[in-house]
Amino acid sequence: MKKLFLKTAVYAILILIALEVIVRVFHLAKDNPSRFVDKYKVEKWVPNQEGYSVTGNRRQNFSKFYINNSGYNSYREFTPSEEKIEIALVGDSFIEGFHQNYYNSIGKKIEKRLAGIEVYEYGYAGYDLADQLHLISVYKETFDKIDHIVLGLKFENDLLRDKYQVVQDRMHLESPLYKKARKIKLLVYTQNIGILQPLWKLAGRLMSIGKKRKKEPEKVITKEDIEAKHLTYIKNFKSLIDLYGYDKERFVFLLDTKITPQLFLDYLHDNSFKYIDMHPPLNASKLPTTLIYDRHWNNHGREIIAEIIADYIKE
Amino acid sequence: MVFNSLDFFIFLFIVFVLYWLLFKNHVKIQNIFLLVVSYIFYGWWDWRFLSLILLSTTVDYFVGIMIDFNTKKNKRKLWLWVSVLFNVGLLGFFKYYNFFVDSWIDMFSMLGYHIKSTWTLKVILPVGISFYTFQTMSYSFDIYYNKLKPTKDFLSFAAFVSFFPQLVAGPIERASNLLSQIINKRTFSYDQSVNGLKLILWGLFKKVVIADSLAPIVDDIFANYSTYSASTLILGVTLFSFQVYGDFSGYSDIAIGTAKLFGIELKSNFKFPNFSRNVAEYWQRWHVSLSTWFRHYVYIPLGGSRVSKLKSVRNIIIIFLVSGFWHGANWTFIFWGAFHALAFIPVFLMGRNTIYKNSVVGENSLFPSFIEIGQVLLTFSIVTFSRIFFRSESITDAFEFIKRILSNFTYEVYNHPMGYRMVDYYILIALFVLYEYRIRKDERAPFKFKSKIVRFIVYTIVILGMLLFYDSNIDRSFIYFQF
Repeated sequence: MKKLFLKTAVYAILILIALEVIVRVFHLAKDNPSRFVDKYKVEKWVPNQEGYSVTGNRRQNFSKFYINNSGYNSYREFTPSEEKIEIALVGDSFIEGFHQNYYNSIGKKIEKRLAGIEVYEYGYAGYDLADQLHLISVYKETFDKIDHIVLGLKFENDLLRDKYQVVQDRMHLESPLYKKARKIKLLVYTQNIGILQPLWKLAGRLMSIGKKRKKEPEKVITKEDIEAKHLTYIKNFKSLIDLYGYDKERFVFLLDTKITPQLFLDYLHDNSFKYIDMHPPLNASKLPTTLIYDRHWNNHGREIIAEIIADYIKE
Repeated sequence: MVFNSLDFFIFLFIVFVLYWLLFKNHVKIQNIFLLVVSYIFYGWWDWRFLSLILLSTTVDYFVGIMIDFNTKKNKRKLWLWVSVLFNVGLLGFFKYYNFFVDSWIDMFSMLGYHIKSTWTLKVILPVGISFYTFQTMSYSFDIYYNKLKPTKDFLSFAAFVSFFPQLVAGPIERASNLLSQIINKRTFSYDQSVNGLKLILWGLFKKVVIADSLAPIVDDIFANYSTYSASTLILGVTLFSFQVYGDFSGYSDIAIGTAKLFGIELKSNFKFPNFSRNVAEYWQRWHVSLSTWFRHYVYIPLGGSRVSKLKSVRNIIIIFLVSGFWHGANWTFIFWGAFHALAFIPVFLMGRNTIYKNSVVGENSLFPSFIEIGQVLLTFSIVTFSRIFFRSESITDAFEFIKRILSNFTYEVYNHPMGYRMVDYYILIALFVLYEYRIRKDERAPFKFKSKIVRFIVYTIVILGMLLFYDSNIDRSFIYFQF
């Protein structure tokens, strides 16, 4: 039996090594750029990194990213000045655009439509309104030179807090253990395709052995609960605006009115906050606007977004 | 606990180590251990149904002794009927009761009498009931036909009935093969264990890569058949052929491989049925343990082929109808069985039902002949067509499906319901067929390569295939669990 275990172990190790080589050669796993918190406590990517973003078991979506000197995925450096006209797109992974080659981003598409204008994409996965306004306030000098600032806003996700703090959970991904684990491409790949899920679940089950688990009764969410939640989000919005400031002339939100409560839309309207509604053109599109494997915009979706932003700027 | 889950592999590892390290010198203790772990394995689904296994085991244990004890034929027959009625009654209640009630009501409705059903019951079908009831019945039959002596060792008999690798979906073992191995001492064999591991790996590949990856396509096409053209419907049923083969033969391979780890050899259940040259050969290669069961305990007692042609044809029709009905309480399975009977009878009448019994396609050459290719394609088409009945939700759906193929004979490009590249699946199936052709001579040796390097490369490709086609979002249960 010893021979069986020994030989199986040797085969297993050799196969794992072979698979690691295959995953690397065929680039089946995505590259994870490093992140850091800068001196202004802004979380961003470590500048000057490049790599590939991969989605799906069989590399169904494959794109290149490039992190510029400012720490964002963009083909250009951000050098705003009084002489030029610039647009800043500030937002989460939709603006960050790891799902499309960095040289074919929304910013690039806007620039094609508006000759002579430079577009800076301050996109970072997980950024909410607190992240966005904090970034703009601490880099005030830079952003003051930018003529138009478009802020991506998803009501349900982006107004969960009323002030900015570094999200420690994300920064845990930069711990030495995670960094080392990310170097094993087979591990990254298997994690991404979900094959390791049962293993983590089992580990969780083992960890919770002996611990008393409180069974909380399933809460039925009422209409009142939803209204109360929306009011809290609007309160957070007001707090963030008060805390970090907001230039109603230069700033505009990019949102989807279909998934934004009317109460908030009325509030924006009543208080002269401008917004670009992306719902009508996305909804009218005959072609799919999102990727197959996740809900991020595909090339066509990005074309539409670029067009509505360009149209807004033209106006 | 399903074979393709992490829980199972942890369970298997622990059981394997304890079985050989702690209990290897005591066959009785080994059997008690096997019984306990088999009951744990089964109880993982629903412990309440353990009582049914125990009941079936107890009944057939005593029936076996009583058949052997009695010398008069009538009394022996009476005891055999006790076993048959008990096991068929168990199946009838849990599997067929509602079917009969509904069919009865439907029949009256057709005659214009509308009856409101108050007799249908909310009964859960216990996993594996069709398999273990047939296995215990075979024990009583074999004793009745004097092919076997009953065992006095109840625990070993219980371990035979509930042996976990084949408990829920077969292969349906005969006591003459499995019980004798359980009663006798097993010794650890390195080669047997390695072969077992290889079969487990190959079975997992067939399940994860072939069956599970095709499942969403097949489900989509059969659920929306009324919106698709003939080309897509043909694609759907063809892929279902591969899905059900990958699923069930994958399960059987894992079962046989797992049994090998415990020093037990189970009978082969699948012998590359997709390379059959006629329908008769197909039935010698597909779900062999069930076909053998029906041949031994239904077909031959009815007279088999040693009676007049007419009676033989009757016997063929009976076993195919019963076989169809065994699969499920639905008219779709009965039609499926009837269709196979119709396809089998001409082969039988031409005397070609056993001509391929001891050979495989391309027996003495690297490639099959053109005639063989034609025969294989024709058989595959017939079997695949029958699967429209097997897979459809109702008999009406099955006929509508066929009608749509015939009436809407157009070609359209089919897109994967989740947007994946369809070409990946076509390449996968082509490579799978080629590989199965390469190993077609021995279903128990899927990685028979002289060169260690080649073998290592094949292992790596097989595991890579599992990674490339693994989908965490799909239901990974086995199709034959529902039977």
